[in-house]
Amino acid sequence: MLKIENLHASVEGKEILKGINLEVKPGEVHAIMGPNGSGKSTLASVLAGREEYEITDGSVSYLNEDLLELDPEERAHKGVFLAFQYPVEIPGVSTTNFLKTAVNQVREARGLKALDAVSFLKEMKEKMKIVDIDQALLSRSLNEGFSGGEKKRNEIFQMAMLEPKLSILDETDSGLDIDALKIVADGVNKLKSAETASIVVTHYQRLLDYIVPDFVHVLYNGKIVKSGDKSLALELEEKGYDWIKEEAPAV
Amino acid sequence: MSEVISLENSITSRFDSWVKQHFAEGSALAAAKKAGVQSFQSLGLPGKKSEAYKYTPVTKLISKNFDFDQEAVIATWSKDSCQQEFYPVEDANHLVFVNGQFIEEYSVIKSSSQELTIKLLDEQATTEHPEILEHLGKTNGISQDPFAALNLGFFNQGLFLKNAKNSDAQDTFIYQFLDASSSSPIAYPRILIVGESGSRMKVYEKTFIKGEAKTLNISVVEAVVKSNAEVRFTKLQNYTNEAFAVEGIYASQEKDSRFYTNTFSFKGAMVRNNIYINIDDENCEGHMNGLYQLSGKSHVDNNTSVDHRMPHSFSNELYKGILDESAKGVFNGKIYVRPDAQKTNAFQSNNNILLSDTATVNTKPQLEIWADDVQCSHGCTTGQLDEEAIFYLRARGIKEKRAKALMLNAFANETLQELKNDLVKEEIEDIITNKLG
Repeated sequence: MLKIENLHASVEGKEILKGINLEVKPGEVHAIMGPNGSGKSTLASVLAGREEYEITDGSVSYLNEDLLELDPEERAHKGVFLAFQYPVEIPGVSTTNFLKTAVNQVREARGLKALDAVSFLKEMKEKMKIVDIDQALLSRSLNEGFSGGEKKRNEIFQMAMLEPKLSILDETDSGLDIDALKIVADGVNKLKSAETASIVVTHYQRLLDYIVPDFVHVLYNGKIVKSGDKSLALELEEKGYDWIKEEAPAV
Repeated sequence: MSEVISLENSITSRFDSWVKQHFAEGSALAAAKKAGVQSFQSLGLPGKKSEAYKYTPVTKLISKNFDFDQEAVIATWSKDSCQQEFYPVEDANHLVFVNGQFIEEYSVIKSSSQELTIKLLDEQATTEHPEILEHLGKTNGISQDPFAALNLGFFNQGLFLKNAKNSDAQDTFIYQFLDASSSSPIAYPRILIVGESGSRMKVYEKTFIKGEAKTLNISVVEAVVKSNAEVRFTKLQNYTNEAFAVEGIYASQEKDSRFYTNTFSFKGAMVRNNIYINIDDENCEGHMNGLYQLSGKSHVDNNTSVDHRMPHSFSNELYKGILDESAKGVFNGKIYVRPDAQKTNAFQSNNNILLSDTATVNTKPQLEIWADDVQCSHGCTTGQLDEEAIFYLRARGIKEKRAKALMLNAFANETLQELKNDLVKEEIEDIITNKLG
């Protein structure tokens, strides 16, 4: 589904990703862990199409297409979804109105008929259950004044509505208490299928208690320095990132 | 400077013969008009150093583009072509002005005259309704502006609207038709509104221009809002690139009254709005909302004042600007809170989004507060569209253009909240969206 080869990316002349290699197949959950500043969020942003990053080398192929050639909205149309670390507050745009526009633009791009008001509402009601989100919240301005937990739940709700093939969760656990974390993780698990894949970017192991990864990769200094199964996350939790830093080749 | 004086002279030199032609000599109305011209002469056109017209060099522009010596042109707007532009509302008044003159026979009036008086503002009307001369040109703030004075001198076939006590009038639409097909018209529309106590009315004004020539609209609306009455006046300025305008709205409010103005400006070579709300008694509400969404070389200047003279009243002012290409916006918001106006609540804000590097906005809040127990706030912001928000919307599959439109509509939307007519609201929403491309 996704194949990243020797990916180098920089921002304002400073190289952040220094040769990432990663392959994700349908049905898989990959966790990307690493200390602060290792390049985790940059990787998520580059995959979603954030424009301030310059790709200096390497390639990303997604469903046999050059992902890096696509605009952010085209990536969304083709099934890439980024759950933001910091969801943006947009005053004056209601979540419902925003989502209706998004869902219908995505549907149009996928060659499906636009949903009318009634079917949209029906669809929404169904998906709201997945993350236990309140109707009142959705009629408010997008993310405006939402608590940290509400914002993250709203991200997963949007993911449910847009039905992506590849979801990238960027530090979805940050700022969540344990109850909110469980709800969010539960939502992600419900959306999991044999055709879809997820990349879970996280600093801490605790999210992985709830979203169990098939693979764990440790990112340090812009490179994946270690890969393994879920036990690697536990090992990291126990030993801390200093262990990785010591083992990693000097740069 | 001598150029300005010669322009002033050329404007006023033909007044004496003109007024004789159109108004009964010795009538009270002719005298009021004479006083208007005299006031214009003593005020003079705003010069280069005028503080009030600092960012809008109106004198220079009108002297370059208009010939005040010429007689009024014959308008080619016919009854049919005017009526084609009416909003499809049966139960409403549709009032037509052509080149600044109210034309009753082109208009459609549905209100009963027991409720809403709709009359040509002439000598007969001043005899039947003595309050006209009591109010005409008398609203506080109006005497400071040379263009309002000029309008008083030169208006012909103005409009008098009086809503009777406790009458809840049907909507009134006013259509200003300007004919620029053969020469450049100078129009002086004049409207006097009196809302008697306990009455409510909503007035919507819109301008149409035919032809490619330049137009100059020097208009004045005065509104007298009596105790516990409500008047709402909405203006849609979707001019041409050759349109020049200096337009005034002056309101005075009595006890427990409410006055709302909404001004939506989308185009114009130079549009200047002077809005002055006088809160002359207690427990009043004055609202002023505006949106200017401009591109090309459009220039819109909103010069506004709210004058709190008595205690326990509330005013709220919200203006928003979206400026693209080389457009220019100017906002000046004055709030006066006089010594007697204790317990006043007065709020003002002006927010702007610049979509290009060459668009500009000059914004200046001005609060003068003499009372000590008041709540006043003002704020202005100027910025660009939030790139992070645009990316967020795009990452959800919304195309870039649509994402920007969504953001700008949300930004503009707040200025539509006091607009009570769905047709007008939809029309304005459509203009906003279409302008976004």
